[in-house]
Amino acid sequence: MATMDNPKANSSRLDRVLTDVHFWVPVAVLLAGLLLLSFMH
Amino acid sequence: MTSAAQPPSSAEGQGRSRSKTLQLLGILSGFTAGAWLGAAEAPTKLVSIGISPMAISLIMVIGVFLALWSLPALILGTSSVRADVRRAPHLMIWAVLAGCLWAVANTLTILAIRDIGLSIAFPLWNSNSLLGIFWGFLFFNELRQAGWRRWTGVLGGALVMCAGATLLAIASSTQGPAGHSLRGVWAALGAGVLWGTMYIPYRKAYLTGMNPLSFVTFFTFGEVGMMSALAVDYTGLTPLWQELLGACGVIFWLMLGGFIWVIGDLFQQYAAKYVGISRGIPLSNSNQLWGLLWGIFVFGELHGRPSCTYLQVVGGSLLMMLGVAAVAFSSASGEEQARWKEAAAPKPAATALLETTLKAAWTAAGLRMSRCIPVASGTGFSSLPPAVSLLFLPGWLASREWACMRAPLRCWL
Repeated sequence: MATMDNPKANSSRLDRVLTDVHFWVPVAVLLAGLLLLSFMH
Repeated sequence: MTSAAQPPSSAEGQGRSRSKTLQLLGILSGFTAGAWLGAAEAPTKLVSIGISPMAISLIMVIGVFLALWSLPALILGTSSVRADVRRAPHLMIWAVLAGCLWAVANTLTILAIRDIGLSIAFPLWNSNSLLGIFWGFLFFNELRQAGWRRWTGVLGGALVMCAGATLLAIASSTQGPAGHSLRGVWAALGAGVLWGTMYIPYRKAYLTGMNPLSFVTFFTFGEVGMMSALAVDYTGLTPLWQELLGACGVIFWLMLGGFIWVIGDLFQQYAAKYVGISRGIPLSNSNQLWGLLWGIFVFGELHGRPSCTYLQVVGGSLLMMLGVAAVAFSSASGEEQARWKEAAAPKPAATALLETTLKAAWTAAGLRMSRCIPVASGTGFSSLPPAVSLLFLPGWLASREWACMRAPLRCWL
């Protein structure tokens, strides 16, 4: 419960996610997929 | 001296034996996932009776949502999910991202099935295994120090599977409606790329300690959110509602497809967890064989075709099975498994370089997400809306009744 209520811990976790290449590669592929879908449609 | 040396070697032996058991469990999970996932794609064939791909995908996703919020709760209760959320709330981002990828990929597969047919589309999007091997190697240290035999088994097996898939595609290449075949091929390949990349969040979450059942529970939020947005954006709210009403007669089958997919996906998650994505994806891609059987025997896709086509289909299927066997027998060595653990902490050079670049770009842009944190933390999951909490009710009730039955499951999971 402590981790949920600690803004500093949450901030560092979110920072870690947002600077993680494991996050941005799927995001880039997702955007490309959405583009492809709009083209198909 | 001898007695002092015995305990470590005994522990080492136990560890090796446990590792082998988990590997076997992962391989069996991969095979089982293939059978369920192959069956789950069958209802998407309903696109050929005139229901829009968006409506089909949305109904399937609703089926997946209902199944995912009931199955994990039935198996484990809700306490483990809540514990995962409290321990590592940021891991939910991975699950939501994977859900978004799945929703877009699933919509693309329906377009592909409409344009080029199930038996061609399946092998094309199953090329995701090659991408999975690449991501597994690059980001998660899979197949590092694996030796040439295992490399040959996994990469060779995946390539043989692709060759078999191509043969199957050639066998039924004239089946798609003329004029749309190229569009269908792009849709199927796009779905393969999205599904191949979807395993990055899967693996990431498991390496950092998330339970697969918790993962799939939050996966649904990304899935339903993305699919609803797509359906409303492309169709419009009123026409979408009309389409859903028009699809009343087949809603059960589509939702059942989503439900079956969930079972396949749970097995797939355990395959990804225990044998990694470079092996887990090719194994669960044996779903193509099942999809082919559905296509041929249930939907009569190859009906009236010459015998050489059937020979190509049998040859392609045999190649696929050979590839699956090669991957299945290339289990990870102890050294490789040690590298998997490393992937959760220090990054390989290429990944570290990319991350450094991202961090620099992030700082340069002056975008500090920490400003948004107080808002996000104020809406913590401990204050879930009562309506959402109600979704846990069946699981809570079942957990009281099925407590005895759940105990062995809990051990296994």
